[in-house]
Amino acid sequence: MRISDLIKMGLRNLSRRKARTALTIIGMVIGTISIVVMISIGIGMNQTFKSQVMELGSLTTITVNRYADIMDEDGNYVDFREQKMDASLVEQISQIEHVRAVTPVIYKSMRMYSGKYEGYLSVYAMDCSTWEDFDFPGLSSGTYPTPENNKIIVFGEYAFDNFWKTTGRNYESTSLDPAVDKITMGFSPWEYTVSERKKEFRIKLDNNYARFEYTENYEYDYYAYMDIEYFEELWGKYCDTLTPADRKKAMKSLETYESIKINVDNIKNVSEVQDAIKALGYQTSSLMMYMEPMQETSNMLQMVLGAIGGVAMLVSAINIANTMIMSIYERTKEIGIMKVLGCLIKDIKKLFLFEAGMIGLMGGIIGIVLSYIASWAINKFGQPLFESLMSGMMGTGEESKFSQIPFWLPFLAAGFSILVGVISGYFPAKRATKISAIEAMKTEG
Amino acid sequence: MVNKEVEKVIVVRNAKKVYRMGTEQIVAVNDVSFEILKGEFCCLLGTSGSGKSTLLNLMAGIEKLTSGQIIIKGKNIPKMNETNLAKFRQRYLGFVFQSYNLMNSMTALENVEFPLVFKRVRTKKRKKLAQDMLVQVGLGNRMGHKPKEMSGGQQQRVGIARAFVAKPEIVFADEPTGNLDTKTTMEVMNLIQAIARENNQTIVMVTHDPRLASYADRIIHVLDGEIEKVEVLHDITDPEVYQRRVEEARAAAPKLSELESSADPKKKKHGHKGKKKAVQEMKAGSEQSSDQKTQ
Ligand SMILES: Nc1ncnc2c1ncn2[C@@H]1O[C@H](COP(=O)(O)OP(=O)(O)OP(=O)(O)O)[C@@H](O)[C@H]1O
Ligand SMILES: [Mg+2]
Repeated sequence: MRISDLIKMGLRNLSRRKARTALTIIGMVIGTISIVVMISIGIGMNQTFKSQVMELGSLTTITVNRYADIMDEDGNYVDFREQKMDASLVEQISQIEHVRAVTPVIYKSMRMYSGKYEGYLSVYAMDCSTWEDFDFPGLSSGTYPTPENNKIIVFGEYAFDNFWKTTGRNYESTSLDPAVDKITMGFSPWEYTVSERKKEFRIKLDNNYARFEYTENYEYDYYAYMDIEYFEELWGKYCDTLTPADRKKAMKSLETYESIKINVDNIKNVSEVQDAIKALGYQTSSLMMYMEPMQETSNMLQMVLGAIGGVAMLVSAINIANTMIMSIYERTKEIGIMKVLGCLIKDIKKLFLFEAGMIGLMGGIIGIVLSYIASWAINKFGQPLFESLMSGMMGTGEESKFSQIPFWLPFLAAGFSILVGVISGYFPAKRATKISAIEAMKTEG
Repeated sequence: MVNKEVEKVIVVRNAKKVYRMGTEQIVAVNDVSFEILKGEFCCLLGTSGSGKSTLLNLMAGIEKLTSGQIIIKGKNIPKMNETNLAKFRQRYLGFVFQSYNLMNSMTALENVEFPLVFKRVRTKKRKKLAQDMLVQVGLGNRMGHKPKEMSGGQQQRVGIARAFVAKPEIVFADEPTGNLDTKTTMEVMNLIQAIARENNQTIVMVTHDPRLASYADRIIHVLDGEIEKVEVLHDITDPEVYQRRVEEARAAAPKLSELESSADPKKKKHGHKGKKKAVQEMKAGSEQSSDQKTQ
């Protein structure tokens, strides 16, 4: 038989029993919808977790902190220990495979002055050539420091929001704007004592600053960043103003970093790099560590949802097989006639497989279309349900998508539904080929 | 007179068919041997239950032979696998059944096209062949009808058109007129004979009706699964007989178009005439052994 004749004949057989074909297709539609929607919910939740974790920072970043938490077996905090954080460690880490960028981080508290107002601000000093690797946000004004021109401080959106009047009785926070107000900065006066004979250390903000865009990430929004070399330069000048005893202490404090940040080339390699650093005797942390239990939860959820879809699919597969067997009973005589007229066994098999596959495909296509509608409805109206489901894991954002259908899912679903059809049609088809022509022709039909 | 060498298109040697029903054994065909020549009209004649149908089905490869040999066109049928058998059927065999066995969901035209579909003939060509065939059997105006919308005689003519459309060398017919009345029986028998002679096709027909056997060139009498006797009415190896049959076939061609008009009430007279002649022929054939029939 020619393939075109086979297709024509198969479609014709399907349309001969419209009601039954339609019902079987509906079964397949339900199966497809449940699988697609369940997978899309799984993907949607995973994405929601991921994007929420990403708000806290990049997933490819590993941090080694000076003070490492010590946990008991149940993961409860018991104590901390200090780790030795120096330039040689930075050098060692930079040698590890998959490490794209590494920078020491110095964290200092600073104070800002503007007329009667004062404010506190924490500053991170990091190697400015690595900022790009750590996905620093865009700037709303100014430019990033470069190794050539590193005398620029970058401030977050809320960095200037915590000023108060030194003359006022009540603490009342005020926002200032460095573009309007004259602001100078110095280091926190509490840590070290300034020599009485020296002028206090100050830097003026005029053209030497830049501002981050608003990021929703507190690590940027509330802090200031500067290049580590520039910081060391400022710190040196500051130390000159201290009493001799404190000067030594202050200079020494720079030798130990607050933390070391490492950027890994790929999410997949994060744990590998973490293990390598652990081998050096250091404890690390990364957002991947938060992700893992969440991913486990969401994987389990996906498996449960997938199983529900799978059961629905299984039922529709049985349904197709049933339809095909019925159809073979009905067409026993026709099959006999076809055999006697010289139809090849494999063509009979192909015919039935085509019919079964076609039921699968049609059900699949309709199911995919309806899945998009269902997915849309879930995202629009499913908020309350999912909020209660996901409570305790993470909050749900405003525009969280609970159901996401990635571009590959419809193709996968269509392929899968054909496959289910063909597999369910396989045994009935095989049975059709075994029908004896002579017996078949004796049957009524 | 030197007899012409004619191909032995079917050779059956010691064919045996045993059905096993539990512990009981039914010997439906018992050690049967015969030959059928190319272009012969051969009749398997016998009472009900004598094993005619079984024998025919064995030759067609529909039933499995218990022992012996059946050689058609030089091929040992029982030894063939399913695929080769199917291809063999496509090429060499046509079938006419007592109960027509048409596809109920298909029109007359589609039914006639059906064997050509398996032969992978292109749509256009097979449509043309099927149409020509239907016109030849007098159903030019019934092409779009489904079997249920036709009389038994018309359905059997569709069956005949289907059997002959691929121009098979051999056509097997199991009681092709079993469900038809006398008048229609004659029409159908004439039709089969005429088409077969026109293309020098071999017919193997099963019947229990001795009157129909008169159409045959060779009658194989079957009794209780064995061959009682073989009767040769026309020896087609005789060049004279052969020549006469060819001429007869040419003369039969216009008769066919007459048959078409039998569906047309105006020309019914001609149709009757043809039938009367056929009845006479039939009687002559059953009483006398040879050449009378052709007069
Ligand atoms: N499938 C079968 N199983 C068992 N016995 C069978 C089977 N088919 C036929 N027979 C037996 O074989 C014998 C021959 O049957 P067959 O159908 O060939 O007879 P027939 O000559 O065609 O008769 P009729 O003219 O009534 O059609 C019968 O006795 C029948 O009972
Ligand atoms: Mg019979």
